[in-house]
Amino acid sequence: MVKRLTPWILAGPASLLVLLLLILPVGATLLATFADAKGWAAPYLAFFNSGFRRTVLWRTVEISLITTVISVILGFIAAYVVAQMPGRLKSIMIIAAVFPLLTGVVVRSFAWLILLGKNGILNSALLSLGLITEPISMLYTEGAVIAAMVYLFVPLMILTLSGVLEGIPKDVLEAASSLGAAPFAVFRQVILPLAMPGLIVGAVLVFTGSFTSYATPQLLGGERQMMMGTLLYQRAMVTFDWTGASTVAAIMVVVTIAIVLVMTRLARRLNPMAA
Amino acid sequence: MTVSLTLDSVTAHYGSTQVLKDLSLAVEAGELVSLLGSSGCGKTTTLRLVAGFLEPTSGSIRLGERDLTRLPAHQRNIGLVFQNYALFPHLSVRDNVAFGLKQRGLSATERLKKADAMLERVGLASFAERMPSALSGGQKQRVALARALVIEPPLLMFDEPLSNLDAKLRIDMRVEIRRLQRANGTTSLYVTHDQEEAFSISDRVAIMNAGRIMQLDRPEVLYQRPANSFVARFVGFENLIPMQVSARDGANVTARTEAGAALALSQDAFGAIPDRFVLAARPDGLAVTRAGEGTPAGIPVTLGIRTYLGRAYQYQCSTPGGDYLGNGPLSEPLEPGSAAVLAPVPEQCCILPPEG
Repeated sequence: MVKRLTPWILAGPASLLVLLLLILPVGATLLATFADAKGWAAPYLAFFNSGFRRTVLWRTVEISLITTVISVILGFIAAYVVAQMPGRLKSIMIIAAVFPLLTGVVVRSFAWLILLGKNGILNSALLSLGLITEPISMLYTEGAVIAAMVYLFVPLMILTLSGVLEGIPKDVLEAASSLGAAPFAVFRQVILPLAMPGLIVGAVLVFTGSFTSYATPQLLGGERQMMMGTLLYQRAMVTFDWTGASTVAAIMVVVTIAIVLVMTRLARRLNPMAA
Repeated sequence: MTVSLTLDSVTAHYGSTQVLKDLSLAVEAGELVSLLGSSGCGKTTTLRLVAGFLEPTSGSIRLGERDLTRLPAHQRNIGLVFQNYALFPHLSVRDNVAFGLKQRGLSATERLKKADAMLERVGLASFAERMPSALSGGQKQRVALARALVIEPPLLMFDEPLSNLDAKLRIDMRVEIRRLQRANGTTSLYVTHDQEEAFSISDRVAIMNAGRIMQLDRPEVLYQRPANSFVARFVGFENLIPMQVSARDGANVTARTEAGAALALSQDAFGAIPDRFVLAARPDGLAVTRAGEGTPAGIPVTLGIRTYLGRAYQYQCSTPGGDYLGNGPLSEPLEPGSAAVLAPVPEQCCILPPEG
């Protein structure tokens, strides 16, 4: 009897914590959106009837997708190079790649303020090189947000991918070239499909991270480049529109889950091993 | 199409370490040559050079008329079978076999036809749809073999292909490899550290040590007539006795061991005997007889442990100059500690050049 209960007892505390701190608050938030006096769909209709909020939603999806694609490409190249390195150098490179993760998101986003500001390092450099005559305003643009987010998420991508790439046996690649596959064919027909699981995990992490980010769009996008995270904050803390904030949250949850599902589907299609 | 493989004074380095020293090797068209040696002898390096995974520091590699030396691996058209099978884990058995055909631009239907025909030949026709992870080791190696054969390469290379299989399967696969290689008449290079495997599968075997080929010959010759002490030791000549000629009388030679024991040897029986040489013998090449009146001249020894071998007794024999292993007849077991005489049996012994 005790033996049968042991797993439950062991799993208990963690399950309770998840229930109390995750499922209940998120559930409550979602339920709150259906409690509107004008009918359950009213908050959602209000959201989608607002051109501004639709733009925010679309912008968030767009920035997250662009960030994901760029991070996948940059992360793949970096991870591939790192995976080829001899043991010691490899560890050093991985530590170097992960090092930025040790500082907070705010600090790292703030660094981009210094880089991209009107009197920032980039503008000063371009001015002194004579490439421009007056500073370009780079802050509070989509580009600034995307650059900072790529910078935030590439280490995550490198980390997930270098593990997967290292796991591809060298003789499998050698077998491919001995059978006549040119380097690009080896990449497309062997490396890429074998790296697909890591690629998808990394992409999902980057996408959800970007989609739900708050600090980076707040600091580098400001009011002009509002994203779902910043909109949520504004609804809740500036306008005290709790139903509106909950609606934003609910839409974020649904979109995230939908995109993750599509990505895993895609992964399964691209990778017969997962079938 | 059968062509020969020629390596001409190939030298190779890993960093600053020289791993191949001026190696020359010719594999005749349709022949299977093994590179045999312990790890680090350069056999795998040689194979990797031919495959194009390494570049030689100097020398040239030719396959028939084609110069492979600086050609990228994917343009060499060589079928390779790896120790760890190296199957593509994301492709079915059929797609694994068809991989090389795809690179050659064959149409999907043609690939399917050829891959299935090749799977039929290695007895895996019913496994075409499976993923490699659902196969046993022996089946995996058959797929690897099929994958290498289906591209009809002018050269096949095997890198310890049987090392990961159990003993019974190893012998089956050995026969299978030989059968397919013979049937296609494909020139082949086979790397192994297993002497029995090399001798049983090859037309000729190259015994390698420290980046050099010590001897390249038919297995029978290597086994009976090793050319030097290294090869002799490798093929089981446990007694290597350095000797020096002290007197010559026509065909009869008197030679002494370093400890001074004298042996009378006839050049009619042993062949030409240089002034300094190594007498190499397996235990059955040194006959042990009781010391006493009427025994032939030989190296006087004190007998140590006696081992029953079924066809003879084997004795550990100690002398001031070193310990030897010799065999004595079953009819006359000798006791440990007794004095005996060791006499070389001419047809079982080799006269080798001195070491070093």
